[in-house]
Amino acid sequence: MANPAKTGTNLLYALIAQARGYSDAIIMGRGDPDFDTPPHIVEAAKRAMVEHHADAVPAEGLLALRQAIAERVKRVNQIDVDPATEVVVTNGGQEALMLMVLAALAPGDAIIIPEPNYNTYHDALKFARVEKIGIPSTAATNFRTDPAAVRAALTDKTRALLLVSPNNPTASVIQRADLEALIALAHERDLIIIADDIYDLFIYDDYQHISPASLPGGKARTLTLNALSKSFSMTGWRLGWIVGPADLMARVRELKAAITGGTSVISQYAGLAALTGPQEPVQMMADAYKRRRKIVMDALDEMGIKYGVPQGGQFVFADISFTGMDSAELAEKILTDQHVLVYPGAAFDKERGQYIRMTFLQPEDKLQEGLERMRVAMKNIMGTH
Amino acid sequence: MNSETKSRILDLHRRNTLLNTPAPSLMVTGAMDFGADERYAPIDERMIATAAEALEAGQTHYVDVPGIGPLRAAIADYLRTAFNGQYQQANVIVTAGIQESRFLTLQMIGDSVERVAVPEVVHPGVKKALGVRPLQVETMAVDAQGLPPIAEIRKALEAGNRLLFLESPSRLTGAAYSAESVAAIAEAAAQFEAVIIWDQGLAPWAEGYVSLAAKAPGQTVAIGEAFPGMGLASWFIGYIAAPEQWIASMQSQKQIMAICTSTAAQYAALEASKLAAESHASQLPRLNAARQALIAALGTTEVIPGATASVVALRLSAGKKQQVLKELQDAGYNAADGADFGMEDVLRLTISQDSTALLAVANVIKGA
Repeated sequence: MANPAKTGTNLLYALIAQARGYSDAIIMGRGDPDFDTPPHIVEAAKRAMVEHHADAVPAEGLLALRQAIAERVKRVNQIDVDPATEVVVTNGGQEALMLMVLAALAPGDAIIIPEPNYNTYHDALKFARVEKIGIPSTAATNFRTDPAAVRAALTDKTRALLLVSPNNPTASVIQRADLEALIALAHERDLIIIADDIYDLFIYDDYQHISPASLPGGKARTLTLNALSKSFSMTGWRLGWIVGPADLMARVRELKAAITGGTSVISQYAGLAALTGPQEPVQMMADAYKRRRKIVMDALDEMGIKYGVPQGGQFVFADISFTGMDSAELAEKILTDQHVLVYPGAAFDKERGQYIRMTFLQPEDKLQEGLERMRVAMKNIMGTH
Repeated sequence: MNSETKSRILDLHRRNTLLNTPAPSLMVTGAMDFGADERYAPIDERMIATAAEALEAGQTHYVDVPGIGPLRAAIADYLRTAFNGQYQQANVIVTAGIQESRFLTLQMIGDSVERVAVPEVVHPGVKKALGVRPLQVETMAVDAQGLPPIAEIRKALEAGNRLLFLESPSRLTGAAYSAESVAAIAEAAAQFEAVIIWDQGLAPWAEGYVSLAAKAPGQTVAIGEAFPGMGLASWFIGYIAAPEQWIASMQSQKQIMAICTSTAAQYAALEASKLAAESHASQLPRLNAARQALIAALGTTEVIPGATASVVALRLSAGKKQQVLKELQDAGYNAADGADFGMEDVLRLTISQDSTALLAVANVIKGA
């Protein structure tokens, strides 16, 4: 079997591998927060290793954790779910994403995807043999998904609508009026909504995150994913969830049993501690991201690089079309020249080759250094290009 | 809410008999549960210490998709030492348990060859994994021990199948292929240039075991739990060991599905790799003794011969099986129903080292 080409997810991993070769690399690409998991969660995991190491875990997850998830989505997202039948614990948001696609769609179906979008959605749809109908957006409108454009793109095969807010990689937040229009459209055309709320705790300025399932008529047709990777800096624990109507969730559960069978009991107890314990670490991280966002935006302004103002999330999607270069080529050059890793927009959507994604998941001093190096790299590149 | 879209997709799922195959639970729920795949095993405090130290040192972030390097190397070393497998670190993917190993191998290798042959009697997790995405599935008839005979394997290969899934030992009966049979399978696989997914998860409990990985390394994709019997069943950690040309597609799919396997589980397994050989050597005779005591207590009940100390499979008439299942349930016990694996007249008991409970189960079965 031939090696997969360096596109999409494989392109990102090729850049990660290159960055590892530099001892002084500054990573402003990958969505892995620099903060370690809060200590009280690690302590809970250590206790679980002693007290619960052999607990039987059903495919859908421990009931205590599902109850905590139900309380969380009620408190944060205003979604009412029954922990017995409407919650499934997953190996992180990534498995949740795959399960939602497989549960809601069959081969040959089509789904509306606002673009650009997280590259793994494209991979999951390809695996499920589902057709993607992309709705392009640009920095000029802060990557707004226009409901009229969605309506115009619907086909007879369209069965679902993906809503990611804040979006990855654009960091745009879907506004209430647009969300209500999209839900109305989902009703009218009988679409299942796949909602990705993973960045719901990281919202800036006066923007507001609204879960589609919280709006009238939303819950019965919406599967919503979330995970603790970003909010509690728990990327290595692989702990996420899906909530949704019991009928669809029964299918999610069967698929979960077929794909991985369950989720590590230690991660589940760690997740329980995260959801039921102190929430201050989340606020501390959110405050830090707010400061870092400003640092990145200021630096981009200074470099004369346009971008969509991040309304949420942990990254900026910047327009590098003025360079005349493709984002993959530019990212490779920045990495090679100054050992700074940014993600090429082309990895998220081949039509988004004029963008790069820059995360602010580094301490402020390192972030400043990374931006300074990037300024040097851009100067070098523009001088030779 | 009336939704034709939902009704349609739910109907498609309902009719997916592979996906909906019932399966035993992974881990026992208590001392009276003999139906789960895994028995209770204590965990060595050194494994807890290693995992805890890693977490405290900040190993709470994403790690490499195929697993942390030292664990991949340790699994390769274990497979070389225990099964004479020809593996290096680059041949190993650490998975989030045996079910992910089944899913990744069947779906990703299956995708390239479009069809797969599986035994009529196989762990339900195999059928479930095949049910996730349509794949042409053919079955191989099995012998009285639940293993496809060599003639059936050859028949499947001659019919054009280039991907076969085999369990040795059988997850239901514990029967394993002999050295001669493994050699014959290796020869057939080489002749037809086929790939064999070889589930050897129960192998540590089978004396005199021979892995296909030793006889046909170029044709074998070995899967199993990482260090079974070390108390990690509920931590969900397994492996895939394969020739490098098959690794890329499975690693890519693993990235899409889960990015990586939980770091706590990986570090605990890394420590387990240092302790497993000694632990297995002490566990195996105890399990064998418990199994023999159970068989003796069962009296005339027919036991399917098997080389694996961790399971006992009983052959019962259909009516008797239902009666035994009911009486076990009434008495608070649990056993695995062979029907879920494809063998209607069989019950499986997972051996624990609690001889009192084992003998009590034998009494219920004898009295039924």
